[in-house]
Amino acid sequence: MRNSTPLRIVIGIAVIVLLLFAPRVLTIVQIRMANEIAYFALFAVSYNFLFGYAGLLSFGHASYFGLGAYTTALSLKHVAGMPLLASIALGGLVGAAGGAIIGFFCVRRKGAYFALLTLAFNQFLWATAWKWHKVTGGEDGIGKFVPKSPLNLGIATLDHNQVEGMYYLTLTVVLLCLAAGWYLTKTPFGNTIKAIKVNEERADFLGYQVNRSKLLIFTIAAFFAAIAGSLFALFQDFVATSSIDLGMSTQVLFMAFLGGTGSFFGPILGAVIYVYFTDWVSSLTNRWEFILGVLFILLVLYFHRGFIGLIPTKVKAIFVTQKGS
Amino acid sequence: MVIMELRDLHKDFSGLKVLFGINLLLQKGEKHAIIGPNGAGKSTIFNLITGKYTPSQGKVFFKGKDITGYLPNEITRMGLARSFQITNIFRTMTVFENVRNAVLSKNNARLDVFSRLSKMNGIVEETERILSQIDLLERKNEMAGELAHGHQRAMEIGLTIATDPELILLDEPTAGMSTEETKEAIKLIERVSTGRTLVIVEHDMEVVFSLAHRITVIYYGQVLASGPPEEIRNDQRVKDAYLGEEKE
Repeated sequence: MRNSTPLRIVIGIAVIVLLLFAPRVLTIVQIRMANEIAYFALFAVSYNFLFGYAGLLSFGHASYFGLGAYTTALSLKHVAGMPLLASIALGGLVGAAGGAIIGFFCVRRKGAYFALLTLAFNQFLWATAWKWHKVTGGEDGIGKFVPKSPLNLGIATLDHNQVEGMYYLTLTVVLLCLAAGWYLTKTPFGNTIKAIKVNEERADFLGYQVNRSKLLIFTIAAFFAAIAGSLFALFQDFVATSSIDLGMSTQVLFMAFLGGTGSFFGPILGAVIYVYFTDWVSSLTNRWEFILGVLFILLVLYFHRGFIGLIPTKVKAIFVTQKGS
Repeated sequence: MVIMELRDLHKDFSGLKVLFGINLLLQKGEKHAIIGPNGAGKSTIFNLITGKYTPSQGKVFFKGKDITGYLPNEITRMGLARSFQITNIFRTMTVFENVRNAVLSKNNARLDVFSRLSKMNGIVEETERILSQIDLLERKNEMAGELAHGHQRAMEIGLTIATDPELILLDEPTAGMSTEETKEAIKLIERVSTGRTLVIVEHDMEVVFSLAHRITVIYYGQVLASGPPEEIRNDQRVKDAYLGEEKE
């Protein structure tokens, strides 16, 4: 088996260096776009833990994105002296708790029932955000919660009120989460999820606790989605029901499919293409959502390996670990 | 020492009665064959023992513990493993990954989120040892679903023994095999069942009489006869009901 690990490390470092120096050459608008891509990439990867890895089709993944976004916004707004980084972590934890509770009911159901149940919980959370005006601000949302003082990191300070500072904050958190997520796919638990997807009955008869494993991956996916939501809230300095509505749940599904759900990196590519594509199409026409819809239909019908399926196998082999030992 | 007891097992599927009171005692270390015509309820017995179905009435005891109503994964973790009549493997995983799935489960690494799978040398060694036992080591990187039928059946047995069970249930392990393949399969089963208790459902009488210490004949959901091979071979009721002329 050819070992491509050194090449993989070189490429990985090159990409990170490129991302770190990108703000030097990009315009403000482009940096903001890269920032958006970063948290959506994490959101899409978290979605793919459910769909691509576990084979669970969720229509309610915005639930956790929204929980993270609202938690971060509310904690910064109402808790005096709430540290920025702690508000992100809290967002992730609340999202994970939400995922554990909702997942507890959902993973017991299969196929369409699972999908509909995730949708129902999402609608419930959305309705709560919509109606509980006192807390969430309803349709008006919550804004202006990001603290003004720069982030003190001990050795340096990072001013997240600057476009560049926010970009670095988002990038760092996203890269850490992606690294953790990537590692997870290489552990025995990552293998458990794959085995259950391939043959649930056989896994059960080999001693695998199917529901418990699904619940764990559901909770982990919710955690990462919520972190993405927290970063979204900080970036916008505003959170409203659009962060937790059905549109957001469809958007993440679309990003994952667009890039390709068969690999870890597919959804990241999907997020890049999605953000650029919607920006470009919406500058051409107001009917951009229509064009997106047509694209999605074509994707599902003819192109279900996503854009990552277009990359030649030899190039992909660098990133994808070989089968077997 | 009794390792398993089936006490008055009944099963009906929405009104269709399949089993009417099966009683069976299994001694530790014995090789037991269950035979009977198609539809007699043999696979249903396996499905009741392993938790795929719950009995309508009656109880299953394993190592002295009442396991009636337990989930398949709980029963497996207690040391009981089964194979399936219709090959039930991880088709889109390699031969190596298939057996490793079982080995990981046996080592309680199912929910391990910290270890790096490729660095777990003990798991790799154990997996390869089992692969060589079932003669699939040189095919370890092939996709399990693309193996020839005989190899897939060996894979099925490999998955069953890889959790290192005390009791193995094999459901028609030689189904669809040629005479040659069947001979190989018998050797394989003898090899992997050494030191374990074996229950085998089988139609091939060559397999049954070469492996079993004791045979139970199921006929229309009931135990028709149970005893050593010679006794069963000469039992008039069994001859009438099942063995018929072919063995005369």
